[in-house]
Amino acid sequence: MLIRLAGGHVVDPANGRDGVGDLWIRDGRIVDPPQGGAADETYDVRGRMVLAGAIDIHSHIAGSNENMGRLLLPELRRVEHPGHEKPRGAFNTREIGRLYAAMGFTTVVEPAVLPHHALQAHLELADIPIIDKATLTVLGNDDFTLNLLRKKESAQAVQDTIAWTLATSRGLGVKVINAGGAEAFKENVRTFSLDDEVPDYGVSSRAIVKALQHGVTALGLPHPLHVHCNNLGVPGNVDTAVATIAAAEGLRLHLAHVQFYAYGKEGPRGFSSAAPRLAEAVNAARNVTVDIGQVMFGQTVTISADVLRQFNARNSAKPRKWLIYDGDSNGGGIVAYDYRATNFHNAVQWAAGLELFLLIADPARVFFTTDHPNGAPFTAYPDIFALLMDRDLRAQWLSRLPQEAVAVTTLPAIARKYSWSEIATMTRAAPAQLLGLKDRGHLGAGAIADVAVYAPNRDRAAMFRAAALVFKDGTLVVRDGEVVQEPYGRTLTALPPRDAAIERRMRDYYMDRYGLTPEFMAVAERLLGPRATFEGVPCRT
Amino acid sequence: MAEAWIRGKPVTIKAAADDAARLLGASRMPVIAGLGTDVAGARAAIALARQVGGAIDHMHAAALLRDLDVMREGGMMMTTPNEARLRADLLLLVGPGLSRAWPELPARLLHAVAGKARRIVWLCGGADADTIGVPVERVGTDAAELPLLLASLRARCGGRPGGRSAYPLDALAADLAKVKFGVAVWSAEALEALTVEMLCGLVCDLNETTRFSGLPLAPGDNAIAVREVSGWLTGLPPRTGFGRGDGEHDPWRFDAARLVDSGEADCAVWISALSPTKPAWRRPVPTIVLAQDETLCGTAAVAFAVGRPGVDHDSVSYAPTTGTLAPQLVERASQAASVADVLGRIAARLPGGGSC
Repeated sequence: MLIRLAGGHVVDPANGRDGVGDLWIRDGRIVDPPQGGAADETYDVRGRMVLAGAIDIHSHIAGSNENMGRLLLPELRRVEHPGHEKPRGAFNTREIGRLYAAMGFTTVVEPAVLPHHALQAHLELADIPIIDKATLTVLGNDDFTLNLLRKKESAQAVQDTIAWTLATSRGLGVKVINAGGAEAFKENVRTFSLDDEVPDYGVSSRAIVKALQHGVTALGLPHPLHVHCNNLGVPGNVDTAVATIAAAEGLRLHLAHVQFYAYGKEGPRGFSSAAPRLAEAVNAARNVTVDIGQVMFGQTVTISADVLRQFNARNSAKPRKWLIYDGDSNGGGIVAYDYRATNFHNAVQWAAGLELFLLIADPARVFFTTDHPNGAPFTAYPDIFALLMDRDLRAQWLSRLPQEAVAVTTLPAIARKYSWSEIATMTRAAPAQLLGLKDRGHLGAGAIADVAVYAPNRDRAAMFRAAALVFKDGTLVVRDGEVVQEPYGRTLTALPPRDAAIERRMRDYYMDRYGLTPEFMAVAERLLGPRATFEGVPCRT
Repeated sequence: MAEAWIRGKPVTIKAAADDAARLLGASRMPVIAGLGTDVAGARAAIALARQVGGAIDHMHAAALLRDLDVMREGGMMMTTPNEARLRADLLLLVGPGLSRAWPELPARLLHAVAGKARRIVWLCGGADADTIGVPVERVGTDAAELPLLLASLRARCGGRPGGRSAYPLDALAADLAKVKFGVAVWSAEALEALTVEMLCGLVCDLNETTRFSGLPLAPGDNAIAVREVSGWLTGLPPRTGFGRGDGEHDPWRFDAARLVDSGEADCAVWISALSPTKPAWRRPVPTIVLAQDETLCGTAAVAFAVGRPGVDHDSVSYAPTTGTLAPQLVERASQAASVADVLGRIAARLPGGGSC
């Protein structure tokens, strides 16, 4: 089946394309314009913007923690008119796929899978329609890794551990969350910074991050180590983010949801945006990438495996309820939260995220996220796109915020507006590259035909909320914001080397420590049902 | 060996599925209950409920919702069975029914783990504590004493007046504050909701100064796995109806026993693949039974013999040993149909069906 999208404005920065022209699709792939071939189907997309499907590199969409988030706040699903209104949050698996697709997103990464809960994460992902998926597996608070470091075992041992854990959990990359902090909290430690040591193990947070970074690099994993730093949310924590960037020492490192680390202690309330300083540090460190974790106003739930942080945040819960789970390694903290435009702190957070977007110069190194649902549900994305592209709109929002909050940020002075090409780089080309995915994020011949078409609208949020057309692997899945087909996508996984010695060692370890074999944590494909298909992403060698 | 029955008469699965679809298709308020099944069976049951606009309820939803209500109305701190096993220097067992809820509890938690000294205190353990086979310190005897006992203990732990007590609660409160990692263990099947809430409140309070967590023991028949599947597929736990919109959760409205006994439900599906459990309904209702135990099938309108998850076919279920969903892979699956198979066949015969 040959499909032609005729006359649209194609924005494909990866291939240097930004102008009016046709796009051709055949059998699920983008193809060069055929010589004299007639399309079986033509879509008139004159006046419309044509981009590759968007890629979200950090969104908490699947797993036992996410499910507890749903169960904690059933009130997010209560609507006036059942069946005619979308819920505000606590989305089920079908809603996640459909809502993402309606916005033109075609690949989403679940960034925090606990190894012992990987089977559940993949069962949930298997029920999410349309989008392609991937996961990042959490390491760095587990006894095995901490022991390797305590005993000063070889870098090879760390590499093998990463390889084994990724393979067993079917992850695409490695995530480390407040390295050592969850374990330290079990020992009654209440604050944990980069150079603090985990009790008993005597290993610093920095050492854990470095060891994992080296292991990920040596394995040639497509995605760099993805780091959730210490001290999330703490006033003055810009120091932590800057120190972590420096700790990368020139090797690739990705810092997650950095808005939550963009805080200073200036001003009469001892809380300010330090986004300019953080942006400067990011700009100077070409080896570092960041995703923002933008805050938007409204009721949400925060879901994180940073157990220590979530425990410390419990008294700010709105409504007043929370779950703290001390897992086998990292666990979970689920804390209800309501970001309010009238709240000084929330207003500063909102502004700081936008400052970061606008002050980080290279759209290929800053990634578009709300750390769903922690900053806001992903359904807030359209409003964020609108804010990035329109200074006047930002000014309108700013005018409704507490002025004492505005006073401790630099947002009003920032004139920059994101262009379509920058949006396409930030949400398509760059994330594909960051994840090692050569077949997407662009519209060159050979790419999978994940395509999003938007109909320009003065209300840009409305435009991004309801894509005019979305294709997934060449199949039309969305028309005018409505899902018209629900095929199931693939799950992307890394292909680390498998080694018999580490298999034996892990089996012995699990028997010794738990009296169990590690089978309980293996993600056996045949248990996921016929919809679940996996695709390997090779390591760079 | 018969696979299916219509009013006690052996028939093919195909004929039974036809009849079941006819019954469900004609009903106005079907309820899919029991839900004693694995993850695949739960998925199929929920899909079917949505398809026919019915409701779902698990046979142990009352206990499930007791813990869930405490979680979603106030909060809870929880840990894993293995963290409790490896790390706890004090186990605070609360109430009876613990070894019934988790038969491996003595072996996994109470017997000494190499090199680990731990203290075990059991509040109101009753007969369960008599037979546990491990030395424990017992405080209180009857579960009825628990609400006051826990409230008094929580007050003392918080430095508030706790009234006089026949039990050494001052000493216990002082000790709880000094543990390194304490774990409270309870079974919601044996306790009232407010008792669970008071206990969880105590656990949370203790974390102001030390580390303490909770281990709620799962109700039986894979209730936690069904809760998880319901959560991710619908956003809501069991006792949810799909008659309008995409799911309304109401523990009173969608209690299967109430639906049947009141006459609101005009058709029921009863699923019990993990234990030979019958529904305890007081009014007859045309029922489609999916059971592991053939003796449940005789009087039903339609019945299917289903395989045992993890024995006759692969399954994913909640594993009390790890506190996670875990696989049970079967070397050679038997011929027995699974719950998912049977429900899939029924769904395929109904409008909009067969998608599972």
